[in-house]
Formats: sequence, C-alpha cells, structure tokens
Amino acid sequence: MTTSRRQHTLEVLVENEPGVLARVAGLFSRRAFNIETLNVGPTEDSSISKMIIGVAVEGHSLEQVIAQLDKLVSVISIKDVTPKAKEVHDTQPDYQN
Amino acid sequence: MAKHVPTANGTEMTGATSLVKSLEAAGVDVMFGLPGGAILPAYDPIYDSTIRHILVRHEQGAGHAATGYAQVTGRAGVCIATSGPGATNLVTPLMDAAMDSVPLVAITGQVPSAAIGTDAFQEADIRGITMPFTKHNYLVTNPDEIPGVIAEAFHIATTGRPGPVLVDIAKDALQKMTKYNWPTSIKLAGYNPKTTPDAQAITDAAALIAQSSKPVFYVGGGVIKANAHAELRQLVELLGGPVVTTLMARGAFPDSHPLHMGMPGMHGTVAAVTALQKADLLITLGARFDDRVTGKLSTFAPNAKILHADIDPAEIGKNRHADVAVVGDVKETIAALIPALKAALAKNKPDLTAWLRQMNSLKSTYPLGFDTPDDGSLSPQLVIQRLGQISGTDTIFTAGVGQHQMWASQFISYEHPRTWLNSGGAGTMGYGVPAAMGAKVGAPDSTVWAIDGDGCFQMTNQELVTCALNNIPIKVAIINNESLGMVRQWQTLFYDSRYSNTSLESKRVPNFPMLAESMGCVGLSCERPEDLDKTIEKAMSINDQPVVVDFRVHRDAMVWPMVAAGTSNDEIMIARATAPDWDSQEL
Repeated sequence: MTTSRRQHTLEVLVENEPGVLARVAGLFSRRAFNIETLNVGPTEDSSISKMIIGVAVEGHSLEQVIAQLDKLVSVISIKDVTPKAKEVHDTQPDYQN
Repeated sequence: MAKHVPTANGTEMTGATSLVKSLEAAGVDVMFGLPGGAILPAYDPIYDSTIRHILVRHEQGAGHAATGYAQVTGRAGVCIATSGPGATNLVTPLMDAAMDSVPLVAITGQVPSAAIGTDAFQEADIRGITMPFTKHNYLVTNPDEIPGVIAEAFHIATTGRPGPVLVDIAKDALQKMTKYNWPTSIKLAGYNPKTTPDAQAITDAAALIAQSSKPVFYVGGGVIKANAHAELRQLVELLGGPVVTTLMARGAFPDSHPLHMGMPGMHGTVAAVTALQKADLLITLGARFDDRVTGKLSTFAPNAKILHADIDPAEIGKNRHADVAVVGDVKETIAALIPALKAALAKNKPDLTAWLRQMNSLKSTYPLGFDTPDDGSLSPQLVIQRLGQISGTDTIFTAGVGQHQMWASQFISYEHPRTWLNSGGAGTMGYGVPAAMGAKVGAPDSTVWAIDGDGCFQMTNQELVTCALNNIPIKVAIINNESLGMVRQWQTLFYDSRYSNTSLESKRVPNFPMLAESMGCVGLSCERPEDLDKTIEKAMSINDQPVVVDFRVHRDAMVWPMVAAGTSNDEIMIARATAPDWDSQEL
C-alpha cells in the first residue's frame, strides 16, 4: 500500500512536572496529529524530561506539528532527529522464486 | 479606592493572603467571582483588599465579564470561582477567550491536596479539563509557589498572543502559612514569544506589496489586541489599497474611510468578499484564515499571494500557505513595514487605480441593506442601525451570537478600536450581557449597549442583578424575534422551512420588561417603527440604572449577504437565490 505518510522523529525537552504527558498527548489528539511511538525518560537535569516522539505526518506539515508543540509552555525545545534516508546496503542475496 | 501598598517579600501570611497580595502586585483593580468552599480562604483577605470584587450570579457571567473588561481595557481580566461546578462553569468563557485571544486569568479553588483524586465533594480536574483551551494552566499545592505562579499567569496571559490562563489552588495551600515572595523577574524556559519581526521578512514583505497590482489589507483582531490601529491607517494610506476588517477587527480601521470595503466572510459585504477573491495579494495582519472568512478553503482567494503577519508562528501556514511570513507583534511589524514600503514604492509604485475603481463600483452597487417589512412591523436591522446612529461612535457595543450579532456588525458604523465586543471564534450565545457588564466596569464613562437576541438573553440575563446592585448601568437591546433566529434562517434556507425547535415564543413568555424590572432595571418595550427613536432616546437618558428594551421585531428577517457554510466565497448571495450580477462588473 502506498500512502503519503511521512515518518519523523522529534526529540522534545519538556519541564518535568505533573501533567506534561497529558499536555503533549492531548495536543496530538485534538489537532488530529498521529503519534506512532512515544518514549519518555529523564535527562541529566532532573527538572527536564526528554520525549522521543515518532510522528506520522499526514494532512499536516511537520512545521505545523512543531509550531503547535512549541506553543505549550511546558515544552522547552524541539529537535527533528529523523534519521536520514539510509543508504541501502543490500547484503542479502535476492531469491527470486 | 485605597492605594495599593506593596507587601515586603518575606512577610509571613497565609497562602490566601499571599494570593490576594500577588493579585494586587500584578495590578489587578477588579475581579468578577463567586465564592464557595474550596476558594473560601481567599475570600477572607479579599474582604480587606484594594481590589474591587464584583459578586456575580453565575460563574459564566464572571468569565465573560472578565473578557469584556479585558477587551475594552487591553489589560488582563480576572475571574475567580470555587472548585467543581464553580470551576466548570468557567469552561465556556475560557474556551471563548482562547478562541478570541483574550488575556484572562482565572483563579479556582481546588479540594485539599490530600483529597485530590478521591472524587471528593466538589472535586473536578479543572486543570485537565481546561488544557485544550488555556494558554497554560497550573495546579498549586504548595503555598510558597503562589506569588511566582500568579506572576507567570499574568505574564503568559498578556504577552505574545494573548489568551486565558487558569490557576487552580488547593484549599490547604490557601490555608497554610507561607512567606510572601513576589518574583523580581520571570524566566520560563519554554515561553519566549517573538515580538520583533525579522528585518529580512520586512524587506521581503515590502517587496511583495510593491509588486502587487490588486492588494487587499486583510485585517484581523490581532490589530486591535496590539493597539496597532494608528500604524495600520498610516500603512493603508501609504499604499492606498482597499481594506477589509473581520468580525473581530471591526473598529480597527474606520468604517467611514473610503478605502474600507467592509467585513469579509459568511455575512460580509460583496465588496469585501470579492476583494479577497479577486486580489493578487492579501496583506494579512493579525488574522488567521478562519473558515467563516475563507469559505471553502480550496477556492479562497485563488489568485492571491499571501503575506501573513502574526504573532503566533503556529498560525503561519495552518490553513493557507504564506508566501512571505512575518512573525512578530503586529504593531512592531506595521511600524517596520511603513519605511520599508516607502523605500520599495520609491523604486516601483504599482498603479492601483483600476483595482480601486472595481472595488468602489462593487461597494456602491452592493451596499448593505434590508427590506422594510410591509406589514408595518419593526425591522431588526433598522433597530440596530438607529441604535448606532443615536448613541454615537464612542459607544461600546457587545452582542450575543446569531442574526442580531451579524446585523450589529453590519449596520453599526465602527470608527474606533475596542468599541465592538463579540464572541467570534467560539460563537457563545449569552456572551452579550455579562461582557457588557465587564466592559462598563472597564470603561465606566462610556455608554455600553448589549445588543442581544431573545434566545441569548435568556442564557445569562441574571447578571443584570449584578449590574443593578453594583452600579453598572449597562443598556440592553433585546432583538426579540421570538426565535433562535439564525438557526431558523438556516432552517428556512436549508431544511425546507421545517422549524424544528427554534420557536422560543418570547413575545408571550417571558415578559422581558417585567423580568428586567424584577432585577432592578428599567424595562421598556417597543414594537412600532414610529416609537423607535423615542424609545432609544428614553433608554439613553437613563444612566443611574441598567435599562432593558424589548424590541419586538419582524420574525422573518434574514442576514444577507451570505456565503453558505462549506461553499465558496464565489457563491455569495445578496438575497435568497440571488447572486450579484457579475456580468455587469469588470473583474
């Protein structure tokens, strides 16, 4: 199946405070953005947490997702860390049955 | 009023006193609220405060009053309520303020921190509930944090794109002792709105304007929020291009100005709607391409490049791609654009004569108008038009939502910013009376008229009691067509005139003048055109009491022009099944 979905990975630093996950998840939900994966963990600074968010952009631009996330006061910074399209090292033999 | 004496940091007091001292330190002079159990500790120091507290009859009234106050003064409006239902009654005004970018600070009591999460009496997760439509919100359980949070709340509400902030405070945090500690500076790692536009963006914007032969200034409510009306007028006159002002921007540019084409959108003028559709450039200033302006988005302004200036980066490209985006305070943006445009025009000044001739031809061919009912009954548009003419351009008008709101935006001439208050984004029926109350408190020397519908009025009229008891002499014009008029209009046009549940029978019940009298107001009524002016003049002559006038109007009047929901602006109708005569126009 071909779709126009594009995968992006965002590294989002947020204030480590109660409710911050609800703020981010609620934003994605109400703006109809798609979260594919979400990982939340600590940073060296105990007042800041790091979220790694896999976003499937469909019908919205990545810029819009980032701009809306950035409006949350609890969000400190957003970085697009989407891996560059990997060069394909095809080490497997092709089996053409 | 007693002068506010700053409290020394380190002074010992309860969290409640710290809250009230913090509100005083934030410059609050009035707040609208209603006490209850969880917020009760705060009401004890409120009793001694320099802040005027106005006791409303319903928390929704407090929220819209705070909005009316904010829209008139440009300062943050403040409302206060208790936990649970008190707090949830603020939900509608908070959503309303978020949609229309109104600086609002709402304080709510919360159950004691040990009881949070136990389904305690009057417990509601108001922070969770209001996350989608507050700019930010807080739950405070530590009294030491109160001054810092209040300072942040006002900073966030009033800077950048204004908006509502809610501060929920647990009852025990109000009761415990703390040391007052008003912050000397505010640092928020995640909040740093950009107000000064990039120089390159300004240069690009000026160049784009200088290349355009069919530009239109698409002016939104942000221009009023930023107090940029004087700069706007300079910029407009420098270029000499046509202007449209959205529902939220009525008054940002004088209606009497020859370059003003009127309001665009679903009930906009033919000239304003067509200006956007035929333009080659939209100079978008503090506006957000709302669906009520664009109509069907894919056919909106099809030939136009977009210059979009807004303080909120998330508005850029949200609904329509911007060819040049300028992020910043629109007052700073316009101020920077004026010299840049002068320089660009010195090199290349486009000839706008043909474009202006087309626009002026539309403006004179399709002025706003209305039919006079042939049964001799009162026309609602005439009532509103005469209210505007008799009370003058310094009057502040508020409206509910529906036909009367659209007519009030069309048939009153707005010459000054902050004289037209309405619920644009949210479309909150019942906004009119409490917003007028707040507006009158913020501008006590101005005449304030609430133009309300008979449906809207029955949602929030209890605040007239508050007005009567607190010397807030607003005037209310009920445009009584005994219907949910706008819904009825849609039923006429789109549901085969099947009037399901839109008849309110409000010419029978309630008796509005008697209702008004019972609330300590003067109640008047008018149903014949020949009584109209003298009734308005009578209402204008009463300034020591609120006045309510029941204008009993023709039921079948409709709002025109109209772009039906979901259709293209090109399909604008000037009356039922009547499109403008495009063939006679050179476009």
